[in-house]
Amino acid sequence: MSDRIFAAVWLLLCIAGLFIGWRIHSEYNYEPLGPRPFPLILLSLMALCAVMLLLRKPDRVSWPSTSVLYRLLLLMIMMLLYGWMFEKLGFPLSTTLLTFGIGMLFGARWWAAALSGVVMGGALYYAFDRLLDVTLPLGSWLS
Amino acid sequence: METWTFLMQGFAVAMTPGNLLIALTGCFIGTIVGVLPGLGPINGVAILMPLAFALHLPAESALILLATVYIGCEYGGRISSILLNVPGDAGAIMTALDGYPMAQKGQAGVALSISAVSSFIGSTIAILGIILFAPLLANWSLAFGPAEFFALMVFAIACLGSMMSHNPLKSVLAALIGLAMATVGVDANTGVYRFTFNSVHLSDGIQFVVVVIGLFSVSEILLMLESTSSGQKVVRASGRMMFNLKEATQCVGATLRSSLLGFFVGVLPGAGATIASAIAYMSEKKISGGDTFGKGDIRGVAAPEAANNASACGSFIPMLTLGIPGSGTTAVMVGALTLYNITPGPAMFTEQPDIVWGLIAALLIGNVMLLIMNIPMINLFARMLTIPLWFLVPTIAAISAVGVYAVHSTTFDLLLMVGLGIFGYILRKMDFPMSPLILGFVLGEMLEQNLRRALSISNGNLPILWESPISKVLLILAVAILLLPPLWKRWRLKRAPLTTE
Repeated sequence: MSDRIFAAVWLLLCIAGLFIGWRIHSEYNYEPLGPRPFPLILLSLMALCAVMLLLRKPDRVSWPSTSVLYRLLLLMIMMLLYGWMFEKLGFPLSTTLLTFGIGMLFGARWWAAALSGVVMGGALYYAFDRLLDVTLPLGSWLS
Repeated sequence: METWTFLMQGFAVAMTPGNLLIALTGCFIGTIVGVLPGLGPINGVAILMPLAFALHLPAESALILLATVYIGCEYGGRISSILLNVPGDAGAIMTALDGYPMAQKGQAGVALSISAVSSFIGSTIAILGIILFAPLLANWSLAFGPAEFFALMVFAIACLGSMMSHNPLKSVLAALIGLAMATVGVDANTGVYRFTFNSVHLSDGIQFVVVVIGLFSVSEILLMLESTSSGQKVVRASGRMMFNLKEATQCVGATLRSSLLGFFVGVLPGAGATIASAIAYMSEKKISGGDTFGKGDIRGVAAPEAANNASACGSFIPMLTLGIPGSGTTAVMVGALTLYNITPGPAMFTEQPDIVWGLIAALLIGNVMLLIMNIPMINLFARMLTIPLWFLVPTIAAISAVGVYAVHSTTFDLLLMVGLGIFGYILRKMDFPMSPLILGFVLGEMLEQNLRRALSISNGNLPILWESPISKVLLILAVAILLLPPLWKRWRLKRAPLTTE
């Protein structure tokens, strides 16, 4: 079933892509092919594959149980929040929070997760920003 | 003789203190990444690639780091196979079949040392193969025009598509997704924006680093949460650590045969370490004749290890000589080179000999380092298996984010990374292979450029694409590789009911 849902969604995306791709055009024309055909060929081939996937016998896909799905969703949200707050909170603080959150999700004791969070946020910031010269944000609230 | 001079030049590059330190670091990190179940060479290389770039390492040092991580992983994978019965990376699946029974019999030390030595022999033979064959192949392919390169890339994608999975349709779709993702951004020839949705962040295309980290690091983290199985018993390597002369002579034949086989499998695009070690194990099992394989036969440990290391080194040949990666891991390395504005391909041998020969020399040096590291320090690496996931996973997440952020310093890239990670997780759950996708993404721009260049030469006449004999052969092979396995399967299915009746 998942195969068919995926194929249907992908087919719709390909059709949308074909509409968008059709409008690509350039003023200059000093080569025979131009920028349009290649993406259009790819999109058509993908649409063809999606149709074949839709028509054939779908593979059985085993999705995780509801409780695991719930934890997965939590992990995805945490990662998105981490990305979103990376600059605002700064690397040390956001990494501390992420480490704590993931630690709890993977079954650590709360004090162990908190401790590893503080150590990780501090140590990685020091290692990358100070020792290795990779500039990381300290956060607008600290600077 | 010329090769010798170049090789010495390569040693001069690889033997500088900085590069030796980088090779040592790469070997060490590689072995650890290999030991950890779930993390394989492609994850290790993907996570370290943006860091190497962010640290402003010169191109040859960055490539040395990634290559030593790659071969280090092939060494490390065996440790968890033998001690835990869980392969540390895909190439070490076969090693568990005889390695774990040996460990249960109290011969863990012997299994670990013989596999370290056979890994070393396998890689060394394959590196000698690179030194012998790569310059020849590069010379020959210098004459390739755009049409030939187009055919070659189609062939490489078809190979990876049909061999990586039992599911050719999904592999082809994965490769197409990769190719399509590469068309996002400004078109180099005309300056037209394609599929950018007026976003400034996409005008430069989807960043390679973001794609690689999303697909191989973030999605791996999500998969790790799902399979939080711990509590497996690690067998402690105790007792006799070294193999004796009798065991060594028993393995000589198996090791040499498997090394050669692994090398040739590695050179082929598509077939990687996993396939090489499986073929080596099966053929040694047949040659042995007895039924000791699977019950702790020492040859069953030596053969797959020699083969997977040989194939890892062999897979550098298509990457260095043609610029066409034959596996997911080398695809990431090609992407890393393009970050440095180096176009991998036959011209690299003449224009960037420092990089090519420095890499080859570093592979030789790295192998010696790995052999030395992997016998006495084995218990240190085995202890890595006790690192809890609640510490390991956030570390991977944070380092990945640092790598992505270091490229452009935008929040957008971080969010795109997570988005691609979720997309990758869904694809992987549905059995889409990731290697064709990343290969498609790396080759996408080159494929389009060569197609357009070829058609410019011919003034828009399509036949130029298949006129030369080389492109004809490659295109026919590509179609055959894609179509034959499914047809063969169908034919066999039709035959099967007849024979059972």
